[in-house]
Amino acid sequence: MVPPGMAAFDLVAAKKWGFAFVPAVGILELVAHLWQTTAGVVPESDWRAAREVVKAKAKADDLVVFAPKWTDPVGRETFGDEVATLEREAFPDVTRFPRALEVSIRGKHRDELAGWKELARDQVGGVTITTLENPSPAKVIDDLVRHASPQGMTVQRTDGAREVDCAFQTGGGQAGGLGFGMAIPNERFACPGGAFVGVSVLEPIDYSARKCLYAAPIGGGSILRVRFANVAFGKALHGHHGLYSEHERGGASVTLLFKAEDKTLGRVVHNDGDGWKGYELDTRELEGKRGELIAEVTAGNGNRRQYCFEADTR
Amino acid sequence: MSKVAEPTWRDRLRLGKEVGPGDHLVGASLGAVYVAWLLATARELGFARDEGFYFRAATDYARWFKLLFERPQIAIEQSSIDPIWQVNSEHPALMKSLFALSWMFLHEKWKVFDDASTAFRFPGMVMAGLAIWLVYIWGARVFSRRAGVFAAFGLALMPGTFYHAHLACFDVGIMTMWAACIYVYWRAEQKGGLAWAILAGVMYGLTLETKHNAWVLPAVFVVHALVLHGKRIARSSRVGMIPIPTSLLAMATIGPAVFVLLWPWLWNDTLPRVQGWFRFHLNHEYYNMEFLHVNYWKAPSPPAYMPVMIVATVPAVTLVLFFAGLGERAKIAWLRVRALLAHAPFLASQLRVSKGDGPKDRYETDLLLFLGLTVPLSLFLLPKTPIFGGTKHWMPAYPFLVLFAGRGFDLVCTAMHRALAPRLIDARARFMATAALLASVTLGSLLITSHSHPYGLSSYVPIVGGTAGGADLGLNRQFWGFTTQSLADYFAKNAWQGATVFIHDTAWDSWSRMLDEKRIRSDLRGVGSPSEADFSIVHHELHMNETDYNAWVHYGHVAPDFVLTHDGVPIISVYRRSKPKP
Repeated sequence: MVPPGMAAFDLVAAKKWGFAFVPAVGILELVAHLWQTTAGVVPESDWRAAREVVKAKAKADDLVVFAPKWTDPVGRETFGDEVATLEREAFPDVTRFPRALEVSIRGKHRDELAGWKELARDQVGGVTITTLENPSPAKVIDDLVRHASPQGMTVQRTDGAREVDCAFQTGGGQAGGLGFGMAIPNERFACPGGAFVGVSVLEPIDYSARKCLYAAPIGGGSILRVRFANVAFGKALHGHHGLYSEHERGGASVTLLFKAEDKTLGRVVHNDGDGWKGYELDTRELEGKRGELIAEVTAGNGNRRQYCFEADTR
Repeated sequence: MSKVAEPTWRDRLRLGKEVGPGDHLVGASLGAVYVAWLLATARELGFARDEGFYFRAATDYARWFKLLFERPQIAIEQSSIDPIWQVNSEHPALMKSLFALSWMFLHEKWKVFDDASTAFRFPGMVMAGLAIWLVYIWGARVFSRRAGVFAAFGLALMPGTFYHAHLACFDVGIMTMWAACIYVYWRAEQKGGLAWAILAGVMYGLTLETKHNAWVLPAVFVVHALVLHGKRIARSSRVGMIPIPTSLLAMATIGPAVFVLLWPWLWNDTLPRVQGWFRFHLNHEYYNMEFLHVNYWKAPSPPAYMPVMIVATVPAVTLVLFFAGLGERAKIAWLRVRALLAHAPFLASQLRVSKGDGPKDRYETDLLLFLGLTVPLSLFLLPKTPIFGGTKHWMPAYPFLVLFAGRGFDLVCTAMHRALAPRLIDARARFMATAALLASVTLGSLLITSHSHPYGLSSYVPIVGGTAGGADLGLNRQFWGFTTQSLADYFAKNAWQGATVFIHDTAWDSWSRMLDEKRIRSDLRGVGSPSEADFSIVHHELHMNETDYNAWVHYGHVAPDFVLTHDGVPIISVYRRSKPKP
């Protein structure tokens, strides 16, 4: 007798017909495959339609990202350089963006935007565009990476008492394949002896893209010095530094020292395994002023030290 | 007296109670169909990185074979051998020799294959066909013909097997030889006699000659022989004698002799060169491999790598059947263990068994199949084993996986016949029901495998969400730059005459052959860096992101001109130096 309110489960029948589980798995797998390879694939037309929505909504200082991350190449191809700019693709972190447009498929989200407030959501076929607000955006006053021109900065190499200027040059940039590391930018300050400083994109240990100043330390007692001109200071100097992923596997620590008004603002050290490492230096004494900011890059040994840093004042 | 008619060839081929020539015809036919399928799809698949190296090695070895046929005395001199056989001397000779001979005869001489690459690849395809044949016969002998048929389908219809079976590489070769060597050893144990033992020795030599996976094969044989002959060994050891199965003795003696005989590189300075071979593989450089969003580039492998990748790349229904078959064999093994324990009076009363109760397994076949399955897999649980090459390195386990799956199919089939007994009134109805069941468990795998081509290494099975699910999970997208040829249409439409192309992870020999065979427009010029290129390709693998970023910096834009996708998942991006189209 089955008690009232209880369903009966016939064990004998279950055993008899249990074999059906196997063909059911086979058929389910077949159906899942058919769905995953047809209706489950977001068509190109949805991506194109999503581009128009984002184009209409995105402001210049908005972040635009694609989720999941593996869709990024499709996003860049479809949205083009106008929307998927280098600054949006290779941002140092998300703190500077007041808003973000997350273009996502498959219900995925970007970890960087966790905790941001959702303002709007647009569904374009299989693509979801979510407008998110940064709960505490930072107001960037000056971006050191934007100083990378003869008007914005100068570079020197110091070997003991000898200091030489590194001339700004255009041309001869190089990009390689796997294991090459960061691209050597076409526009760079080239020092006698091989060191240089220029804007490139780093692949740090997490393989993300980070736009920064490629400034590989020379090693020994030599200093690679960058003098940023007419920097507008704020309360803090906020930045990151890192090494090319394959160089995080055994090498000397890299030290980045910031100076202004003949005072040391702070020293940050990058050790192997640190990845894209953030730092923030207190500059309240300089807040509201404009002046020269000096960054000095040194390492005990410059071997396999493709190093890159970025900073902004805020 | 009435005269008994001689059996005709038709009689001999009829499927009787015993497994016989007719079964070999079935197995060979299944294998042949598979080889035909591989041949029909070979042209769509570009060349993996390592294939380029083996094309070159095989072409060099062909020069030596030509010399051997024409002037054998000169061919066997060290001065003739070393310059040629030094090429790719980190791998033994069998597969590359077959590639060379196939190219010489089936392409150059008899023009059977238009593409040289198809001739190079053909021996690997035949190896895959032989594996299908073998698992059918073995399954039929151990369990039933139904089990053999499913084992054959199960092995053929794995996207990974299908991909690797196309290649002029060693991975399917060693899968087949691993299983064939164990099969011959098993037959030697069953049949006895010197001929089978010698054959086992020769097979071990050929397996060593195929790939270094054979180093660990003795672990299978020794453990099995100890269990099978344990009692006899124990008895004999008391009088100072340790009996060794003849087949093992043959493997230890004939095996190495065959190995050296077939590898001319070892005909001189044998010991240092053998040591060099071991050294190369024991100190193999690590490759990068993404697993669950982490790029691994040194030992140890995460222990979850192998099991997760099996679940993600082998059709789920095959795995369900495998567990069904393995479960049943484990249950039988437990009954046998219980029966053994019954020899201890206390345990016998506890377990309620009496001596001799357990099922019999005269040749310890279940154990042998289990060892054939687990030894190749267990290497990936060792702390020092790095990830390199992914799933292909444990493919020798797959013939055994599908044999257990075949047993699972057998059990399911029996259960179905029992449940449907009132309706299955005759043999035809039972056959139709069996065929329907077979279709239900193979049709999905067939479509999955077919759809995976030519992106076999990028494809994942539905249980993890297919190709996109694999990307979501952070599983490796590709390897060896094998997808380059899939850009042929793009280049045909977009590249100007003589344009330069940075070929990224494509090996030079692979690229050259694709151009030679007009798989990609032959006026294009491959270059070694984006700086030199009009077009740069980026194979999407996590640790290769830097190549994307290099293109961004050098070309001054982040938008690729084209992204090759499979089920919406990026496989390759193509950048062009000039601004992309708006």
